[in-house]
Amino acid sequence: MRTRFTRRLAFAVLWLAVFDQFVPRLLRRVERERYEAGSVFRFENSDLFALGPLVSYLREHPQGNRRRVVFLGNSIIFGYGLAAAEAIPAQFQEQQPGTRVFNAAFNSAGLGSSYLIAKAIVEAVDGLVVLIGSPGTAHDMLPSLIPVEESDRRAFALRPPDRIERRLQSLAGVWRLYAYRYRLQAALFSTSTRQYVYLHKRDIVRRLVTPFTSPPPPPPTPWRPSDDRAVLRAPRSASPLDAEGRRQLRQNHQLLCQFADLARSHRKPAVFVQVVDVSVELSDSEAADFNAMFAPFAETVNIGLPPSLRIDTMHLTPQGAHAVAVALSRYDSEREIGRR
Amino acid sequence: MIFTDLRFLVLFAACWGCFFTLPRSWRPSVLAFWGAVFYLTYAGTFLAAVLVLVGLVHSSGRRPLAWAAGTTTIALLAYFKLTLRASPLPATDTGPAAILIPLGFSYLAFELLHVVIERHRGRIQVLRLADLLAFAFFAPARIAGPIKRLPEFTAAVQAATLSGANVYAGVLRVLIGLAKKLLVADVLALTVAESSYVSTTRHAWTIVLAFSLQIYFDFSAYSDIAIGFARLMGIELPENFRWAYLASNIRDFWNRWHITLSHWVRDYVFMPTASALFQTRLRRWPPAIAAISYLLAFLIVGAWHGATGAFLVWGLYHGILLALFHFVRLKTPARIADHPLYRSRVAKGLAVAVTFACVTLGWVPFMLPLKEAQRLLGIMFGASR
Repeated sequence: MRTRFTRRLAFAVLWLAVFDQFVPRLLRRVERERYEAGSVFRFENSDLFALGPLVSYLREHPQGNRRRVVFLGNSIIFGYGLAAAEAIPAQFQEQQPGTRVFNAAFNSAGLGSSYLIAKAIVEAVDGLVVLIGSPGTAHDMLPSLIPVEESDRRAFALRPPDRIERRLQSLAGVWRLYAYRYRLQAALFSTSTRQYVYLHKRDIVRRLVTPFTSPPPPPPTPWRPSDDRAVLRAPRSASPLDAEGRRQLRQNHQLLCQFADLARSHRKPAVFVQVVDVSVELSDSEAADFNAMFAPFAETVNIGLPPSLRIDTMHLTPQGAHAVAVALSRYDSEREIGRR
Repeated sequence: MIFTDLRFLVLFAACWGCFFTLPRSWRPSVLAFWGAVFYLTYAGTFLAAVLVLVGLVHSSGRRPLAWAAGTTTIALLAYFKLTLRASPLPATDTGPAAILIPLGFSYLAFELLHVVIERHRGRIQVLRLADLLAFAFFAPARIAGPIKRLPEFTAAVQAATLSGANVYAGVLRVLIGLAKKLLVADVLALTVAESSYVSTTRHAWTIVLAFSLQIYFDFSAYSDIAIGFARLMGIELPENFRWAYLASNIRDFWNRWHITLSHWVRDYVFMPTASALFQTRLRRWPPAIAAISYLLAFLIVGAWHGATGAFLVWGLYHGILLALFHFVRLKTPARIADHPLYRSRVAKGLAVAVTFACVTLGWVPFMLPLKEAQRLLGIMFGASR
């Protein structure tokens, strides 16, 4: 009896040890497929599970096979109420087939979160599109998901990561299946296994109860682009900004200027998007001053949308997201957001 | 989840190593020491308070001190329940900062009360401090039960042996618990989270059904993991769940759901209340005695889960169901009870379904604050949107 149990335990351990040898190869393959191919990427169900794995991948692979543009912001960019393929970033990618777009937005994200995420991946991307007008807060989980400098952690009043647990986890990293467990899930499902099961529960149940030969479910109802268009405008200043004006702007919009400094110091173009009447941080004159101050690396654009392109006072319909993506794509063609 | 924390695993491994390498007579001290280290790691601010409480319970040999220990334990439990309004489910967010209530204090309080009462009744004659500390700080059961009994636990610690069978059974039980928690309960929790924007009757029923399954898988998973870790040390903890949703009546349900709690309440609330009531004029109406005892016992069960109106309503609901069941069973004529149809599989299946429906309906005030629960119930029955 005792030998049988010991034998089973030994077999399980041996099997795990052998499988572990293939984990890095498996991870490389699924990550390349997930992050370099043309599939739509976003944090499904607005769950930040895949943020850490995405940031780790981008930092390890600073050069992609295509131009990389990251969209940051709150539920407007995330695409609240829309399928992943209907959100602004996915539609932008459709307009720009030569670009790999990452939708790194999530519901209720503050500008602080966008800033910290951008800071972690700025070296590995070619351009940033950031929605502004949300509070300057940062998500409390960020220090445990991505590298956050101590000064930023203090500035945003974030809880420090659990150092002892982190240290123990790095020691346990010799077991590669354990070390890469989050990255494997994120690469396989684009989210955690539980989110994936939750989001695909109907498909999973259908597969379990019906033969595999049954026809696939019909695709979601198609929609047609609206005749209503989004109007994009980058405010310009007639005269250069003096020192006092610069100081004033920095004082009033410290985080935004810090964000623009980040883009400028890394020579990575950033577009700060304001949606008129919905998500606005800078007045027209301030936006013009900002653009004069940070050109050509950072620019603020205002996007105006008719109410017919919104599902509520804030969020966009698929047509609205399409209209914004088209406007940004045109702007991109003229201004080249991180064109190589 | 603390159980998947590497820090917990390291502490457990150290405890496991000492437990089997040091002399058998040191075992209670080993469990007490590593249990205290575990407590210090996860709820360090409360360690001194818990130590004082354990000391008080240890010195509760005389009647006044027993009263002092008992009332202090109840007062502390009431204080934490009233001020912190802890969730009935174990916290999912790990890390010392996430824990504001002494870790597993609800369980600890009931375990310590058991010691005080049994000592007072004379069933615990000798109480060694090391045994009591090991009992109070035993890490696997400290997070979410099961509620242990001191004599059985002390005997299990002394009888524990290191064997392949125990290790295998322990590992398997832990893995089953983890699978239940991570693959089932946590996925169902995402559907339960939809309650904030529920709008249709079907959606509302789906959410309540999901919660009913989630709470079972979540809670039984914690019990499985605790039992599994204890088994790795060769210690057998009491079972807490036994296919609870296959119960054919509400009393059967409470013999399968959170068994250690229902046994505790039976022994220390229900029976003493019923005995006391039998000394009064009520002895002429035994069903009334049963009803009062059930109501009181389950009000305490509700309050134990959390000092909110919703939990009290949930406790009262179960108390009423049990009292009703008791009454119906008493009044069911023998010719019906002995009828083959009454004992058929179809009737049993129907009884299981009705019991499940009653229990599931009862979870509504358990999962949401009263006002939101009312709203959800309204949507479930199509009364309001």
